[in-house]
Amino acid sequence: MSTQTDTSSDAVVAGSFEGDLRRYLRGLGGLLVFLLVWWVGATTTQPSYLVPGPVDSARAFVDLFATSTSIVVPVLGSSPVLPTGLAHLAETLFHYVPGLLLGAGCGISLGLAMGWNGALDDWLRPLVRVLRPIPPLAWVVFAIVWFGIGHTGAAFIVFVGAFWINFYGAYGGVEGVSSDLTDAASTLGVERDLSMLKLVALPSAAPQVLTGFRTSIGRCWMIVVGAELFGAPGVGYEIINASNNLAMATSVAYMFLISLAFLCMDVGFRLLERRVLAWR
Amino acid sequence: MSKLPSTNKESSEKISVQNVSKSYESMQALEDVSFSVPEGEFCCVVGPSGCGKTTLLRAIAGLDDLDSGSVLVDDDPVTGPGLDRGMVFQEYALFPWRTVRGNIRFGLDRPACDCADCEGRVRELVDLVGLDDFEDAYPKELSGGMKQRVGIARALAPDPEILLMDEPFASVDARTRDRLHAELLDIWAQTEQTVVFVTHDIDEAVTLADRVVVMGTDPGTVQSTFSIDLERPRERTDHDFVDYVAKIRDELGSPTDTR
Repeated sequence: MSTQTDTSSDAVVAGSFEGDLRRYLRGLGGLLVFLLVWWVGATTTQPSYLVPGPVDSARAFVDLFATSTSIVVPVLGSSPVLPTGLAHLAETLFHYVPGLLLGAGCGISLGLAMGWNGALDDWLRPLVRVLRPIPPLAWVVFAIVWFGIGHTGAAFIVFVGAFWINFYGAYGGVEGVSSDLTDAASTLGVERDLSMLKLVALPSAAPQVLTGFRTSIGRCWMIVVGAELFGAPGVGYEIINASNNLAMATSVAYMFLISLAFLCMDVGFRLLERRVLAWR
Repeated sequence: MSKLPSTNKESSEKISVQNVSKSYESMQALEDVSFSVPEGEFCCVVGPSGCGKTTLLRAIAGLDDLDSGSVLVDDDPVTGPGLDRGMVFQEYALFPWRTVRGNIRFGLDRPACDCADCEGRVRELVDLVGLDDFEDAYPKELSGGMKQRVGIARALAPDPEILLMDEPFASVDARTRDRLHAELLDIWAQTEQTVVFVTHDIDEAVTLADRVVVMGTDPGTVQSTFSIDLERPRERTDHDFVDYVAKIRDELGSPTDTR
């Protein structure tokens, strides 16, 4: 009897393992086909800079870490020398991280406040309707006029992008708090509005708040590159800088560097999210 | 007994509902409802859906404003929810981000509640509702019956004098329900609380109650009350039990809908 059970559970494990393997092989196959098409496309296109091939791009990517560059750290003012790729990635992060965190902080705060307080919602809803559809990059002109071309201006644009995504995450999350839960909390002695927000609304909205933040991580990478095309230092600027010198393979290398940086942040945040939301 | 007989009839009552009316948009949920519950009584309110029995319970809990009338607890008008009245919800309403322990602990952490040994109190309640080994589980990991045990323990934690229960066992299977009935009566015998238990199940009402309040629908009113004069535990096949059920069913006027 017990052997029978063991065999069947082995079969289940083997089945899922085979399924995983098949999935990985298919994914690998897709990548290989893409590389092949890319390679064929690159070798048959003239002039060669129009489509840099995979081999050239890979070589350019390695070069990003074989050479080194000095950068200026804002606020601290020090100028460390780093591998070129990391140096420009760090430059991007100098405005990406503050923009993202400040934007998320402000967006979440306003979203919670408006979702929770009906009067505030009435006051600000029309304003939100007007400001929300403006693409963050449209603020570039004001970023330049107010802050100049540099980290602060780019951070401002990232801030705008992060703000709205996080605003809607928090707003929707708080609006969706079940009245059963707030009723239960009332009968258990929660009297003040602020306690209800802290003890019931916020934890109940946490999944949507975190999803909003995770979405903004990706969206802000798109925005930050756009912001740098106007001159703020970082990987986005390097993409256009390299292409101005017709070093298209280097542009591709920076594109992959962005993809890699986003992937790391996304995976890291997903792990954190799974941990915080273990109750779901 | 040595006290002078009170001139105010209401003063012997724990809960007194006086001429309460409440309507939602086009529906008259309660119209001029009056009844009272003496201290320590297990009172069941039965009626068809839409008769306003949940509205009545929420009025006692202080969760809704009334159109007119008042609810008195110990002769004091109810103006809002309070730790003296614990509530158990039909769909459990457990905080999904808190463990069993965290849910039970919720009311004990309020400033209005002072417990000398909160951790000890939580353990006592976990034990009382038989959830040892599940203290650290999240609600999603529990069956319906277990969830409602947590709901009951959470409501009992601040040691309320009144326990309000809104169809608490409507979503659990019949066998679990029977067991929960027995457990609830055990708990009630220990805590000597005043219980108001809303249900649409006549069998359930007769199994549990000292007194059954029958409500009619549209508008919601109290039709009649029955004192259930049977020893506990009660047998559903018992002749007198069947008699009570039949009488209440006649009163409700719907012989087919018994759940």
